[in-house]
Amino acid sequence: MNMSADTEQITIPDTVEELLGEEDARPDTPWIVLVWNDPVNLMSYVVLVLQKLFGYSRPKATRLMLQVHHEGRAVVANGTREKCEIDVARLHGYGLWATMQRDD
Amino acid sequence: MAFRPVKRRKRDGRVVVTLPAPVAELLGQVIAELGDVFTSPPAGEVTSRLFPRAYLDPTEEDAEQDFQSLVHDDLVRTRLDAVAAMVADLEAARPTGSDRVEIVLDDEAEHCWLTVLNDARLTLGTVLGVTEDEPLVFPDDDPRAAGADMYALLSALQGELVEVVLAQLPETGTDDPDPS
Repeated sequence: MNMSADTEQITIPDTVEELLGEEDARPDTPWIVLVWNDPVNLMSYVVLVLQKLFGYSRPKATRLMLQVHHEGRAVVANGTREKCEIDVARLHGYGLWATMQRDD
Repeated sequence: MAFRPVKRRKRDGRVVVTLPAPVAELLGQVIAELGDVFTSPPAGEVTSRLFPRAYLDPTEEDAEQDFQSLVHDDLVRTRLDAVAAMVADLEAARPTGSDRVEIVLDDEAEHCWLTVLNDARLTLGTVLGVTEDEPLVFPDDDPRAAGADMYALLSALQGELVEVVLAQLPETGTDDPDPS
């Protein structure tokens, strides 16, 4: 990293919008992460993944798995867009069918 | 499988997988082929199942492209590494007599086996058109019959492994109410 700060011009943004850029200035609505039912993943495996990734108790992970199984999907996590993208990527890493959307 | 193929041994807490030698060999061949599926996946359902979209909303297409450009290559690499590790584990399997071999899994290998077995089932299950309601049964002369046998083997093995790993995880979690 170049540390020669004595010659560097630093511009300080005036507003939050300017700081974050236009794209990130949208209202900070919460996002949710969904897991969808599929005919391949074992029910026990889904419980295991939810426990490992989110630290949920056995009863909570089982409840969410059964909701996926019976209702076709369940909300397994929520948070900022960035956090949800990380959660979705980790779920994909375990082979679960996960998506995210705004919590409207 | 008439015997317990997956156990956690008391001595060091490691998972031990015991398989008939021909089964271990066949498994290694099938798992090795997964590498090709990950690097050049066939268009269609297998790809959308192995590499799903993060966003279903079509107005989030830009975010979807950004997401995929960030994670797709990592996901392929992680899967290829896990496949290579599991193939190596199977090749290094130790004969134990009775024409069986034994593979001892450390924590990392345990994770690899869990995800690779699942990826193999996702791939094969999607190709064979597995459904939730009916078991996969094909006539003996159907070319898909061998695939269905392998799917059943993968499912049985993964089921055993998941049970052993679950038995080690705590019942409690972060969602539990504060006991105080």
